[in-house]
Amino acid sequence: MPEKSLFAPLIAWKNLFEKPVTIRVPNEKREASPRYRGFHVNDWNKCIGCGTCAKICPTDAIEMVEVPDMKQDYGMKPQRPVIDYGRCSFCAMCVDICTTGSLNMTREYIFVSPNPEDFRFAPTEKGFLKKEPSQIKLGWVRDENSDLLDLDRVWPEVLPAQERVTSFVEFVKAYSKEQAVAEAARCVECGICTDRCPQHMRIPEYIKAIWRDDLKDALKWLLKGLESENYLGANPLSSVCGRVCTHRCEEVCAISHRGEPIAIRWLKRYIVDSIPVEKWYETVVFERVPKGKKVAIVGSGPAGLSAAYFLATLGYEVDIYESLNRPGGVMRYGIPRYRLPDEALDRDIAFIESLGVRIYTGITVGKDIPFQKLREAYDAIFLSTGLVLGRSTKIPGSDHPDVVQALPLLREIRDFLRGDGPEPKIAKRVVVIGGGNVAMDIARSLARLQKMKYGEVNVTVTCLERTFDEMPADKEEIEEAMEEGVKIYPGWGPKEVIFYPDRDSIKGLKCVKCKEVFDENGRFNPKFDESEFCFYDGDMIVEAIGQAPDYSCLPEEWRSKLQFVGNRILTNNLRQTQIPWLFAGGDIVNGPDIIHGIADGYWAARGIDEYLRGTERP
Amino acid sequence: MMSSTNNIGLEEILSSLNQLFEGVSTEKVDPRQYKIITPPEKTIPVLEFLKEKGYSHLSILTCIDWIAEKKFELVYILFNWGTGVTFVVSTYVNRDNPIFYTVKHIWPTAEYYERDVHEFFGVKFEGNENCEKPLILELWNDLPPLRKDFDPLEYSKKHYPDREYQKDAIHEARIIRGDVRGEIDG
Repeated sequence: MPEKSLFAPLIAWKNLFEKPVTIRVPNEKREASPRYRGFHVNDWNKCIGCGTCAKICPTDAIEMVEVPDMKQDYGMKPQRPVIDYGRCSFCAMCVDICTTGSLNMTREYIFVSPNPEDFRFAPTEKGFLKKEPSQIKLGWVRDENSDLLDLDRVWPEVLPAQERVTSFVEFVKAYSKEQAVAEAARCVECGICTDRCPQHMRIPEYIKAIWRDDLKDALKWLLKGLESENYLGANPLSSVCGRVCTHRCEEVCAISHRGEPIAIRWLKRYIVDSIPVEKWYETVVFERVPKGKKVAIVGSGPAGLSAAYFLATLGYEVDIYESLNRPGGVMRYGIPRYRLPDEALDRDIAFIESLGVRIYTGITVGKDIPFQKLREAYDAIFLSTGLVLGRSTKIPGSDHPDVVQALPLLREIRDFLRGDGPEPKIAKRVVVIGGGNVAMDIARSLARLQKMKYGEVNVTVTCLERTFDEMPADKEEIEEAMEEGVKIYPGWGPKEVIFYPDRDSIKGLKCVKCKEVFDENGRFNPKFDESEFCFYDGDMIVEAIGQAPDYSCLPEEWRSKLQFVGNRILTNNLRQTQIPWLFAGGDIVNGPDIIHGIADGYWAARGIDEYLRGTERP
Repeated sequence: MMSSTNNIGLEEILSSLNQLFEGVSTEKVDPRQYKIITPPEKTIPVLEFLKEKGYSHLSILTCIDWIAEKKFELVYILFNWGTGVTFVVSTYVNRDNPIFYTVKHIWPTAEYYERDVHEFFGVKFEGNENCEKPLILELWNDLPPLRKDFDPLEYSKKHYPDREYQKDAIHEARIIRGDVRGEIDG
């Protein structure tokens, strides 16, 4: 083919002056494609050390290593991933599952070193090649198709506001098995929740048991916790906490960084609701060796019941003294029935009693039985009497009988609903003072009673805190109350009760603008602008501004030996007071919620055990 | 895009598939894609039939591991260059002793697809004498790696023992971040 050979030299001559198509390594660098899976970058400020990347790595290339001196906060672990690039297969599953989005991949891919040590590397913001973050081009980043986390919560059935406000029926329905398993499947088992829980419940363990559909194992994790470590993490009030726990665990859930946290509380409820309490005893067997010593507990609230449970499992004889007619304290008389039905609490108490704990109700220590009697009859005493006295605003007019306090009223309402007492006074228009959960509880209870009696809701809540965020009440409580027709006006301080000029009835509440709740030292020290005021209509005013302890059961002889912080008793870690045989817990020591009370009960039981094993009674 | 004659042709093919081959099910995925599930003994006749009707291009032969059902699904994707329509022809073989028959007499390129499916899933194709010859993996001596019961982590740990590193990578990272002062190598 002679024609072709005529052109060939021409092409050769032409190419001589063209740029070469090859790349002159190392002088010239070729950039990888935009989705290249190159070396990692990890934003240490965003990373929470959850270790999900290490768990999913199919080549075991990622190790979580503790960072010395790292600030320890709730919601994160002081560890960061270290990658062995000798093992990494650059599959990007670590990026696709990263709970916070801190871990990404760059387009960087060239690294040569004769030293194998150089291939072990903890990625930071500066990447493998130690560049400034602005100089680094990201390669593979997770998108919605590659995301390996399930960010959306499975919601249980919830009665609509219009329906739930007409009765005290529990309005959050239980999970079905399918719902529970689907919700459990979202957990990445990082255990950040366990660190946060005051009682350190073994949350990932029981969630995994739900996922495996092994409810007996799940129940064991709830009621026994870590058996080898003195039942750490057990919660004898799981039916209660499965409904009304303040669930700090969910606030720190790793999934919450990009999605909705795992519904830990509802999953717990699913476990206890799925196994009848008669079966708990055969599922969770305690080998108890009787210790031959007796402990008295004053008050049957969360801390008292918890201490009783753990003491009973340790082989102690436990008697609880409760001044009211039913056991449970705040769980029985404070929290309204639409959130915590009696039946749930009864189940937990029945199980505690099945371990041999005796509960004497209607007996007030210091009145029906002298404290000194307990001292003589028992080897140790645990005090968990709670905050039972209401506080008054003491504003002009607050001494009127239609200005009432939330706690006694909640108690009357619960007694009325269970047929233990007469109908409390239900005013057509009510003003509630307070921004905490007790204020929400009383507002929502009164809203229900108004709806049932008069067909409409007229409850106004006012509090010092200037915004919904500043209010101490849980966000969901505030939202649900408003859905039910309760009106909430934050940022007002009560000034005086206004009466009708012609008769002895309340017309409403005058408030002044609250400028500041806390002073620069973080102390409660509200400041008001008296020139700005408002007026809320109401025939009745409920004060829900906090509670105080009642130490009248303790004789002065002993009380004077105790140390107090404010009005709370000071104890050591094992909840032991300055009197060696006297332990205390719950709201009179720590507060502020049920799960903290349960933790107090647990540690007090360990403290009492330590004390009683170490000392023979003189 | 598609002429009406092609549409009629497609309907004819679908109805004759149902008439000629017992136990075959057809499903429209979209106007240009149809899924056909065949009993194993009908698969090769169906493929030959479709090739004759213009579905002459075997785009790929691949496999899906349905571990819970204890089946492998073999998937033949046929393409018609004239109409742009794709037929996805599937059949199921037992997972315990996965054997099927070669189609390399219909499409010579199938030899490589069959070797690929054998290497990654362990399905044997009778009639393909090169079926068990390694294709991509070198010196593989474990479960076929795309089986669902293959554990990459376990494989990795078994074949590549961990190296004992001397370096404190976290300390180095803190220096790189500027959290602590210090020197780093490299």
